[in-house]
Amino acid sequence: MADWLRINVVYSTQHWIFPKITICILIFLGAIILVIEGRVRAKAGKSVISFSGKFFEENYDKVKFWGTIALLAAYFALLDVIGFTVCSILFLFLFNTLFGGKQGLTPKYMLTSVIISVVSTVVISIMFGTVFNITLPSGLCTIWIKSMGITIF
Amino acid sequence: MPFVLGPEQLVVALLGVIIGIIFGAIPGMTATMAVAVFLPLTYAYDLETALYLLLGLYVGGISGGLIPAILINIPGTPSSLCTTFDGHPMALRGESERALKIGITSSFMGGIISLLVLAVFTPVLASWAIKFGAVEKFLIILFALTVISALSKGQMLRGIWVGMLGVLISMMNMFSVNNTYRMVPNFFKSEMQSGFQLLPVLIGLFAFTQMFEECEIGMGAHFSKEHASGVTENMKFNFRRDFKGQSVNIIRSALVGTFMGILPGVGGSAASLLAYSQAKSWSKHPELLGTGAVEGLVASETSNNGLTGGALVPLLSLGIPGDATTAVLIGAFMLQGIQVGPLFISTHPKTWYTILVALLVCNVLMYLVMFFPIKWISNVIYIPRQRLYPVIIMMCVVGAYSTMNGRMFDVWCLILFGAVGYLFKKFKFPSTCFLIGFILGRDLENYFIQAISSRNGSLSVFFTRPIGLVIWLLIAISIGYAIYDNRKDAKR
Repeated sequence: MADWLRINVVYSTQHWIFPKITICILIFLGAIILVIEGRVRAKAGKSVISFSGKFFEENYDKVKFWGTIALLAAYFALLDVIGFTVCSILFLFLFNTLFGGKQGLTPKYMLTSVIISVVSTVVISIMFGTVFNITLPSGLCTIWIKSMGITIF
Repeated sequence: MPFVLGPEQLVVALLGVIIGIIFGAIPGMTATMAVAVFLPLTYAYDLETALYLLLGLYVGGISGGLIPAILINIPGTPSSLCTTFDGHPMALRGESERALKIGITSSFMGGIISLLVLAVFTPVLASWAIKFGAVEKFLIILFALTVISALSKGQMLRGIWVGMLGVLISMMNMFSVNNTYRMVPNFFKSEMQSGFQLLPVLIGLFAFTQMFEECEIGMGAHFSKEHASGVTENMKFNFRRDFKGQSVNIIRSALVGTFMGILPGVGGSAASLLAYSQAKSWSKHPELLGTGAVEGLVASETSNNGLTGGALVPLLSLGIPGDATTAVLIGAFMLQGIQVGPLFISTHPKTWYTILVALLVCNVLMYLVMFFPIKWISNVIYIPRQRLYPVIIMMCVVGAYSTMNGRMFDVWCLILFGAVGYLFKKFKFPSTCFLIGFILGRDLENYFIQAISSRNGSLSVFFTRPIGLVIWLLIAISIGYAIYDNRKDAKR
């Protein structure tokens, strides 16, 4: 059998065999894609490398987009500091307000937001955390009732 | 015939179907997302009960898409795209209830026909696949990767590329044979011993990506009754009149949907487009399709529900998901420690029969839930999304956190893979290919190493076994077809 058809399987380095093959394929295919699509671009009279068009939609909703990412990061960071239930109620309300936009600041909308965040969080927290015994993030506001074996995260 | 069915299962299936219909009916939310978000609920159940929930979500999610397609001309899920062609014109003509009921009945029939195909085909395919060794398994996965890419319409190379990227990302862990890390930064060694977990990756890719996109366009676009203005009704549904002469169309469309589903990685939209074009070319009055013809509506809805059973065939016989939603379903089996593949039916007959019964039950429930109270249930398309997304975020957190029994690392992965999926969308890479690559990547590597180790590292092992050669032929055909199809598309 020809030598180039042989891969030396050495115990200590075999964890790199397949990743290396994959990376080679990625580079090879990537080059082909660039060439093919570059040719199409060149034919259409566009520049080969630069991306045409903007990354974001025109007039994209900056507040909601970046606000969501910021809120998500804050939510996740505080989850195991505050505890699941209280933290989720707080952030569900904030998400409701953010997604509502201008409408989100009217009293009627806010009241609905409060009801949605409290009810859905309590239902989920009790159903998963307390009844099904699934571990949820715990923190300052987590209540342990040892005598009854109940945890409210 | 042993299977599990009791009051608890019925309740769970009903819950799944209703939630599925809601996810399917709200444009921008899909069956895949419904299954992904509710997957963690299955920790609490045994696998059989969990399957009732997940299959209910799947069937409901595919079926719910027809409601907005008919009423407001927007497909609720990609697979009900073709339903808008004839469904909405019918609604505008004053036949909204009739169109909805025809759609629901067609969906039901498509689901039942595909169930029959599933029951017959899976054991045959599995008994054939039982002879597979590491070489054949490696090649079958390779075949699956080429098929998904081939069908990501005119994006074959990008599909393969991003699928291979998924394979690479799946290998960022500790290799199980020699217990050595690769591609893992030092400070993440304890978290990434078994690599990125499937659940956070797929919830991130499907739910978070979708949410980021909605945020970008402001999320304000929810639908009010005004969008359905002009939709009146003065024609009632009549089974005998409406389905007269449709039997050939129904069987053809259901089989098209089912067999498109069997090909790994094909989505419902491709299946319903193909069934629709078939209905058009076989029709006696092709010019009427697109103006509100019953034929077109029947073809689209029968085929996209036909997909449900079909997509389960490769999952249960080969361990390869047939579409994005079954890729998520494979997660449910993994979580319960059950290996799907050629041995699945013989080692878990109870689970296998339960799947068949559950699919039947879910289809019947879907029909009952949608058909009679259709006027009332069609209001779900008006649920504002800004109220749903916060709750979905919380459910995603519960799911991701409990994946490895309580780690914040997996929760952070949601944002990471949400961003990855968002970038894929922006640069037009199909994320389904990435997910399938990610799911199959570790098996692909293991079978590769096993195969070449047995032959002292010689790659010739992949070309010496007869079944292997057949699979090579299939791979060649799939790539050849993709190139041909690409050319055809480019010419247009």
